[in-house]
Amino acid sequence: MSATIHRSGAAHGSRATAWAFLSPWVIAFGLFGLFPFAFSLAASFTDYSPIRAGGASFVGLANYARALSDPAFWSALGNTAFFVVGTIPFTTTLALALALAVQPAFRGRTLFRVGFFVPSVVSVVVLSLVFKGLYASNGALDGVLRALGLTPPAWLLDPRTALPAIMAMDVWSASGYYMIIFLAGLEAIPRELYDAARLEGASRRAQLAHITLPLLRPTLLFVLVVNTVRSLQIFAEVFVMTRGGPLHSTTTVVYYLYEEAFYRFNLGYASAVAYLLFLITLALAWVQMKTVRPAGPEAR
Amino acid sequence: MSAAGAQSLRPAWGPSLGRWLWLGPLLLSMLVPFAWMVAISLAPAAGTSFLRALAGPWNLDHYVALFAAAGVGRYLVNSALVAFAVVSLNVATAAMVGYILGRRRVPGERWWTLGIVATLMLPKQVLMIPLYLVLARMHLLDTYAALVLPFAVDAFSIFLVRQFVIGLPIELEEAARVDGASDWLVFRRVVLPLLKPVLAVVAIQSFLANWNSFLFPLIFVDSDRLRTLPVGLALLSQTEHSVDWGFLMAGSTVASLPVLAVFLAFQRQILSGLLAGAEK
Repeated sequence: MSATIHRSGAAHGSRATAWAFLSPWVIAFGLFGLFPFAFSLAASFTDYSPIRAGGASFVGLANYARALSDPAFWSALGNTAFFVVGTIPFTTTLALALALAVQPAFRGRTLFRVGFFVPSVVSVVVLSLVFKGLYASNGALDGVLRALGLTPPAWLLDPRTALPAIMAMDVWSASGYYMIIFLAGLEAIPRELYDAARLEGASRRAQLAHITLPLLRPTLLFVLVVNTVRSLQIFAEVFVMTRGGPLHSTTTVVYYLYEEAFYRFNLGYASAVAYLLFLITLALAWVQMKTVRPAGPEAR
Repeated sequence: MSAAGAQSLRPAWGPSLGRWLWLGPLLLSMLVPFAWMVAISLAPAAGTSFLRALAGPWNLDHYVALFAAAGVGRYLVNSALVAFAVVSLNVATAAMVGYILGRRRVPGERWWTLGIVATLMLPKQVLMIPLYLVLARMHLLDTYAALVLPFAVDAFSIFLVRQFVIGLPIELEEAARVDGASDWLVFRRVVLPLLKPVLAVVAIQSFLANWNSFLFPLIFVDSDRLRTLPVGLALLSQTEHSVDWGFLMAGSTVASLPVLAVFLAFQRQILSGLLAGAEK
């Protein structure tokens, strides 16, 4: 594009070319970002449904009221909250431990950095199918448990264990990704700080407590926010492994949203649910920023 | 990765042993599910039993059945076509937009960048219904365009290029301008070659993300002939193939091979790209 605009001389080039270069973003951001975002806000105040005769009519806050009084919505929200609270501490701790372990130079370091990251590059559909097979009754996992003399649970078929089983897979598959993010934070801490600490006789543990962890706060915040936003959107795992069941025990907010929008075609109502999810995401990210950041020293 | 020290001064095996003792089993536990996937796909009648699958004999029956089944070859071609289109458009647009933002050449550069960062933080699922409605209005639902256009311009890719451009010296561009080169010529002859490393990272990351994309291809496309591999595989797993583990694992292996090959070939760029991105 814009190959026809010629103007020489000016040290910083012409304004017109600059706008031409920016235009893909302007168009995409408007058409597939800002406009849909505003449009869905408007839709959330209507009863729009493509399968019903007649146009959409304005219903005010009725969709929001309906969501907030719908036990199915609260149950989906509860499942999602359980997922977030039950995975993020484990994923974060494991990722940090892995990052600390693979940061210093040792034989085979690259093998571990690469190996732990492998689950992050494979499709969630594939991971979910593999774990569905591992969790199958009389499957590989049951075999291991029986060999140890334990009675395996029904995993994905039992409402009590289905969601934890999906959560375990998430911790397994996501830790390597956040390990790399923590590694970036670790590599950014100036070496001199450790040299100085060693000169003053600080132990390994003291260095970790007084240098590494405080300076890692911004990275920790980043990991928490990114992982929370991602976990609030869990969908493919549920679609492939359980379809929200048994007894809606694995229906997450986005799965609920999907069913409302594309099975029942309540697009107005589903837009309101999407907005509620957006507000919850914003609020959680804000809370995490407030609690993780202030105590931290100004890093970097 | 700061491996410079490791190359000149290879660490001894002795002190590394302690780490191997606990990292080794952990890595094994992360890779066993993939070994299970491949073993089950190769064993003719193992059900879900790892031991029976490992015992062999192995053959490619499940792969033959997979490609004989409705549409799987087509899914693979669709995934490749869509990934190629999205990656090409992504690289081209990220180079243009990232360059112009990195050089602060447009009024309100700060606001445009802020918009990009905000887009990064926005949960994409919030847009799934409105995007669906916008595509419906444009008569693009159930077309290849629905799988490509909304993902052709990517905020993260633009951001990566912008950060890279900020670190590039501007002198070469200025010298070319003094010689009378047009903006477009400066971009194509001077800037693009310098952007190669970051554009490689953009291409790899957008390939990985797009190849594995699931929710949007699931809702934007309804015809079987337009399905991508992850969606096709997920839907096949909910038909009569639901407990046909050899079949499903053959499909899973086929879906994983391209991303694993790209990852292993370019792991250095991918990991260092992520390391650089996270620091910003």
